[in-house]
Amino acid sequence: MLRIQITILFILGLFTVGSAQAGFFDEVQKIVNPDTKEGKILSGATQVLSSAKDMDYPTELTIGESLALDSMQRFGKPVAKESLQQYVNLVGNAVAANSKRPSIPYRFVVLDSPVQNAFAVPGGIIFISKALVGIIGNEAELAAVLAHEVGHVAGKHAISTIRRTQFLSGVGTITAASMKGDKGKQYESMIGDMQSVLFDKGLDKGMEFEADSASMETLYRTGYDPRAMITVLKKLQKIEATSTKKGSWFSTHPPLDERIERLESQLAKYPNAASLATVPQRFAKRGK
Amino acid sequence: MLKSFITAFALLLALTVTAAFAQEKRWVASDGTTLKKESSISSADISSLPVGTELTLIESGGRWLKVTAPGHKEGWVYAGRVADAPPAAEVTGEAGLFGGTMQQSQIQTAKADSARSIRGLSPEATQYAKQRGTPEVFRKELDKVLARKVTAKELRAFLRDGKIGEYAP
Repeated sequence: MLRIQITILFILGLFTVGSAQAGFFDEVQKIVNPDTKEGKILSGATQVLSSAKDMDYPTELTIGESLALDSMQRFGKPVAKESLQQYVNLVGNAVAANSKRPSIPYRFVVLDSPVQNAFAVPGGIIFISKALVGIIGNEAELAAVLAHEVGHVAGKHAISTIRRTQFLSGVGTITAASMKGDKGKQYESMIGDMQSVLFDKGLDKGMEFEADSASMETLYRTGYDPRAMITVLKKLQKIEATSTKKGSWFSTHPPLDERIERLESQLAKYPNAASLATVPQRFAKRGK
Repeated sequence: MLKSFITAFALLLALTVTAAFAQEKRWVASDGTTLKKESSISSADISSLPVGTELTLIESGGRWLKVTAPGHKEGWVYAGRVADAPPAAEVTGEAGLFGGTMQQSQIQTAKADSARSIRGLSPEATQYAKQRGTPEVFRKELDKVLARKVTAKELRAFLRDGKIGEYAP
């Protein structure tokens, strides 16, 4: 009997100590596995970019700047009204500080475009068209659209679509030297591929749902009414039939019905949503 | 002898289980978080808490949490500013084998960003613009975008004015 008790205690002990040491064994596993970053470092392949998560911030921002230049040529220059740009930057930074990636700087830009659209380029430069701002009714709705785009930057969604590109094979960072000759051509081709995803085909459906969900969570954490994400999508739904589709939120995002349905099921997480801020007066004054 | 072995083993087991479950942790997840003396925004600041700071939960009071911060500092943080898992650190290009700390990565990211604000576009993006024949006007517009900044002070004033989050009545 006593022997059985000792055995049970011993097994229990092993389980407890085992779970406490799981972190250590995970680290060892990472080093042994040649597919992990640690494994590659150990085998001397330090410059291999194994995933989007391995790209450093300056490289990500350089890609973002290149895409930003192209997108302004395609959709229009920033609107000249500095007070509007400042206001959108304040709303955007308020939500970005409570996003899943709060530690990089974010910039928000209103583009002089007649198409209802918003998009983010890697590194944290986020664009919203004047036409989309035009259908928004309060500050929480503006925050919802911007938080959706911050969700794409935080999840490194655009970057993850190009991780297998030829340009990045063998290098983890971009330098002025690597921009010349064949590498320069490969870089242009990589940016072209990203443009096609961001402006024509759209990101993966799963990424869009993730950004919607992140937006609602970010709104709630900031103190804005998370229902604003749903109300802005419903406004878009009303004008969908009569709006330009090419290069808009309609053509590059999943159907609005499906997005609204998913967000409505998430609302249960926020029982006090109705008590949170929507700030319609300030938006009416500064958001136009 | 056998009895005392069993007792010692049971004690060790109890200690390990207690250590694993006794302290509930939270991590600072938002930029500009402050540890407050009381559960109100108008209360005095104890210290600022960088993103990634580990906190031990003492008491949950709805929108505010009572916590212990590093250095045995006890105070309150707004619940929207913490998460139940540590945030991922940035890849800065200067991290060591197993990456730098969250604070180190924030400093590196800020350095990279302020270089952009001062000098405008990166040399690589400038080279890209040259290769593509991007008109100068767009480069200038993007320089303006990169130079636009929102300070922590401006952001706090903005949230206060809109009665948002911790500034809500």
